[in-house]
Amino acid sequence: MSVLDQTAKGLAAFLSQKWSKPVAIENMELASAGARRRNVLFDAVSGNERTGLVATIVPFAAMQLVPIEVEASNLRLAEAAGMPVPHVHAACDDNAFVGGPFFVTSRIAGETIPRQVLRLVEKTPGLGAKLARQCGAALAKLHAADAANAHPLVLRPNGHPLEAALAISERSIGELLQPSPAFALCFNWLKRNIPPAPRRITVVHGDFRNGNLIVGADGLRASLDWEGCHLGDPMEDAGWVVQRMWRFRNDSLEVGGFGTRDDFRAGYQEAGGEWNEARFQWWKAQGTLRWGLGLAGQAKQHLDGSVPSIVLAASGRRVAELEYDTLMLLKRGFE
Amino acid sequence: MQDRPTASELLATIADLLEGDVLAATKGGLQHQVRVAGNLCRILEREASLGAAHEAREIALLAQVLGEPAGGRDARTLNAALVARLAAGHDAALERRAFPALLEIVRGKLAIAKPGHDDYDFSGEQLG
Repeated sequence: MSVLDQTAKGLAAFLSQKWSKPVAIENMELASAGARRRNVLFDAVSGNERTGLVATIVPFAAMQLVPIEVEASNLRLAEAAGMPVPHVHAACDDNAFVGGPFFVTSRIAGETIPRQVLRLVEKTPGLGAKLARQCGAALAKLHAADAANAHPLVLRPNGHPLEAALAISERSIGELLQPSPAFALCFNWLKRNIPPAPRRITVVHGDFRNGNLIVGADGLRASLDWEGCHLGDPMEDAGWVVQRMWRFRNDSLEVGGFGTRDDFRAGYQEAGGEWNEARFQWWKAQGTLRWGLGLAGQAKQHLDGSVPSIVLAASGRRVAELEYDTLMLLKRGFE
Repeated sequence: MQDRPTASELLATIADLLEGDVLAATKGGLQHQVRVAGNLCRILEREASLGAAHEAREIALLAQVLGEPAGGRDARTLNAALVARLAAGHDAALERRAFPALLEIVRGKLAIAKPGHDDYDFSGEQLG
């Protein structure tokens, strides 16, 4: 029996139990198979009812950053806050059904692959600006949610969230296999220019960007990948969605290669979000540094043998891209 | 001296094979890895022809920023020395001297690792 057949059998057993009626699984297909996640699309059929669903499966329980219930609870919190997300039908940490923990959500049609999102934007007049505004509004709604309702296992900063992020970068700089004066210079700038802590700690998506969005001709339909959701400074999400690496060569459009920062900020503020320019800028530089350090870390995982992979090896040769981006972002401060 | 083809020429030949026949004969996750492998050969092809000159320039620039002769030290050692100086406390003059040198060094690395990445100049989104 193939892995997909086994998965279908496991999901049929799980949903039959959950819904207390016989459920058959049809039209199953593997949508994506990342290192940490498998997404399978399928129809759950019971009598005359057919429901399009998605199962997000962690291949091995040991791969989890947080228990599956935490990610499911993040999605529920975002939905309650009015942010467009897939609806969670069930979460399960019993490995017996599909070989690892998983959750089942509604299936939302649309583009998720960044270049296809950009292609759709290109052929749909007005979509890019609208999408940037909707991204701003979606984040504002999330940031308005009461952080006290977040799952108790959701990570939260101990003290000043910007200082906490800077401390993580400092540790990663210390672990670099190759010393980087460009990153050291960026770190100095971040340390000198750290703004005061935000007035409110909020729920932060943590990886909101082109690539984790479902987009249709009508605009933003959902945001995905809630694994890294945590509590912190809402401007962290704003500084992340504008990173150059999520523009996929459309460099002049700061938000995902499809929209401007002005549209994004207008959408954020219209939906009640409180924009702070100093913290936005700080997180933008910190995000670029963080990604550069992350790429160096990937190469290290290959080189020390912990995760041998030509893709991770190649990440090491991408570090220079992020050195360039950090230097150019901070150019004015060193002239 | 090795006989022709040179390292650059051989790497280009390997890249052609990976990006042509091998890519066509693979699918799924392996196809992505083959594309990455082809790109790495292109990087090494450029490194074989440009790497030595760029590293010599990097050593000269780092020594200049440090205000010391390179004294036979390699690029890695000089980079580590500059990182230590930058971390030792705020030195505005050192940072201003380092900035253009680091930008030139990084552009040299990009000419090998990702030509064209530095075409975008971040005008309109510089911070501070």
